[in-house]
Order: sequence, then C-alpha cells, then structure tokens
Amino acid sequence: MPDKADDVRLIERVADGDAEALGELYDRYGRVAFGVLYRMLPGPEAAEEVAQDAFHAVWRQARSYRADRGSVRTWLLAICRNAAIDWRRTRGKRSEREVTIDAAAELLSDARVEERVVSAMRAERVRAVVRELPDEQRQVLALAFWGGYSQSEIAARTNTPLGTVKSRVRLAMNKLRERLEEER
Amino acid sequence: MSVERHPTEDLPAYALGALDESERETIAAHVEGCAQCTRDLAQFEDALYEAAAVGAVDVQPPRDLRTRIVLRHRGARSPAAPSWTARIAGVLLRPVPLAVPAVLALLLVVSFAIVGTNRQQIDTYERTLAGVADGRVVALAPTSANPDARASVVIPKQGQPYLVVRLPTPPSGKTWEAWVLKPGPKAVPAGTSTAGDVFVLPLTAPLGAGDGVAITLEPSAGSPQPTTQPVLLVDRT
Repeated sequence: MPDKADDVRLIERVADGDAEALGELYDRYGRVAFGVLYRMLPGPEAAEEVAQDAFHAVWRQARSYRADRGSVRTWLLAICRNAAIDWRRTRGKRSEREVTIDAAAELLSDARVEERVVSAMRAERVRAVVRELPDEQRQVLALAFWGGYSQSEIAARTNTPLGTVKSRVRLAMNKLRERLEEER
Repeated sequence: MSVERHPTEDLPAYALGALDESERETIAAHVEGCAQCTRDLAQFEDALYEAAAVGAVDVQPPRDLRTRIVLRHRGARSPAAPSWTARIAGVLLRPVPLAVPAVLALLLVVSFAIVGTNRQQIDTYERTLAGVADGRVVALAPTSANPDARASVVIPKQGQPYLVVRLPTPPSGKTWEAWVLKPGPKAVPAGTSTAGDVFVLPLTAPLGAGDGVAITLEPSAGSPQPTTQPVLLVDRT
C-alpha cells in the first residue's frame, strides 16, 4: 500500500506543476478510481471520460489539498465521485442520470480488491465491518454513496420516513468510523 | 452556527454527501472554523472511502488513459521549455497556407468518421494490445480533432517496433503516415498504411530511446515531412 507521506509529497509535486507526479498518482489510484467511476456511470466510455476530468480536477485543486482533512486516497476518490455525480446530472442521457435502487443497493461489489490501494487483509476487515451493518443501514449508505441520492430523496424513493433514513445514515456512518478507525 | 455547537447529528450525512444544499452550506461553514469537526469529518470520510475502495468494481482502465492524462498536463509544467508537442506543432505549422482549409475539412471528415467507431473495433484494439507477449507498450494521445482515435507503439524485446492503430480508412488518395520524432526540427518518415479500423503499422525508421512518434494524414505516396496536424502523438517513448 502507498505510504501516506509519499502521497502527500506527490500531491505537492502535482501542485508545483509536475505532470509526471500526476502520472505516479494515477499509477497508485487510477485503477480504483476507474472502478468507482465504472460502478457509478453507465459504461466504460463514460468512466474513461470522467476519469480524465477528475484527474484534471486533481491537477487544478492540488494546492487546496489539506492532509488534516483526510488521506490523499479519500480526497482523490471524493473528486472522482463528485465528477461522476456531475456527469450524471448534466451530461448523461435521461435514462443514465439515475442509478436504480437495485443497482445501488449494495455497498460492496463481489470483485476482489485492488491490493495496491487496500491490503487483502484490511479489505477483508472492511468487508466484515460492512457486513455487520443491518441491511437497511447498508442500503441507505449505498444509495447515498453510489446513487448520489440525498437523505430526503432516499426517503421518498423507499417510502421511508425521513427521520428513519437520517437515523440509519447516522448509525451506519458512526459504526463504520468507529470500527475502521479503532483498527488502523 | 457557533463553533461551540458542533453539528454532531448531521456530520455523518455531510461526509456521505447526503444532505440537501442548504444544510450542506451550514455544515461546511462550521467545519471550516472547527478543528474538532474537521478531524471528525476526516475520519468519517476516510472510513467511507476505504469501504468504497473495497466496494469498487475491479476493472482494468484503458491502457492509454494514463498517457492521455499526463500528456494533457505536461505542457503546463514549463512554458519556457519547448516540449516535443510544441516542436512537432512547429514543424506542422509550416505548410502552405492555401492548403489549410482543405486540411481542416479533411480532418473534420475524419473526426466524424471516428465518432462512428463501434464497440467491436474498440474491443479488437484492446484485445490486440492485451495479446502483446513481451516488450513495452506506449500509448499515443489522440489530438482534440480526433478524440476517439487510438494507437500504441509496441517496442518488443527483440525485433522492430510497430504501431497498433485504431483509425478509420483514410479518404481516397490519402494515407496514414507514421513519424519518428528525434531531437531536431524534422520528423523522420516511418511507414504508411491505407488500412482502416484496427491495423498494425510496422515502424520503418529506427526508434531510439526517448524518441517521439506521431501519425498524420498524408497524400497516398507519403510525404517527406508532415503536412497536416497529427491525429495521434506521443512526445517520448
């Protein structure tokens, strides 16, 4: 797995205008970033297009990265996810703009994990923590994360009271954070 | 919202991006000035995106995606130092001005043709590259006029380098011509092809370490120097 300090140095080089550093960042996280986009978008062509836009955003925003606000991996994947949500809202065909409830309903896919990003042992631990979440909590996380839905949209689409959705989000996120943070 | 009243209830949903816009703005303003919430938010997001990294589909990105991302930004590093891209552009900007409108029209025709490229061609191209047994594969970047064009230089451990190309059949009387870009102002002709779809183009000129490669559309007999803008280009192999 990449060293976090190395990641920060890479971002600093990107901020200084070093395109090769952007390439090295791609070597570390390009595959998982593409995997996130592939899951959120209707096909490989859209994932390819948005990946280029996302790495361009990384290039433009590198100076704004702050290590105290999370890891480089988190920052980069958040940029990718936001770019995918923007693409769906503005450029996707009508039929592509929405991820169906069924498609987004699981937080995890069955695919093996990219070990350069998360070690196999750690990935198993993450899977275990996610599986421990009650189904309804896992579903709201998946709908919000992969589908890009807000809590009120999830409430409307699943015919669930908004207060219940909020409660599920809060409980699930707190559990994820506690369980994964305590084992870092 | 004061710094003392932390948005503990909504911070998890904020990290998840599941708040409505007005709620988001309120939390963002608080987090900006609150070290504790900044730390809590970082932990929520790190946990969430770690789960996302595990939950993402494991799929191989296109082989030339990295090259395109790097090439797009390489020119921004140091405008004072002319890049290979600038050099080849310098060579190509010399053609007779009267020829330019015809060239542009031709490039437009090519662009429309490429936009029609079907999925089968893409698969054939990817499969051909995936079948390369040894050596290095370096992708050429498509230029803005032909964003769907694809080509990669295959540099085998033994034998002559060659190009795997995905381009439409050139118009009548025209050919695709490959160029090796060595230090200096001139490009070296490296082979022509009138094939279309996915095809292999052996490089007939020696390819040295760090040389660039480009493909242009030329008259059917080939040209001693490029007369049109490249459709595909890599400044260093």
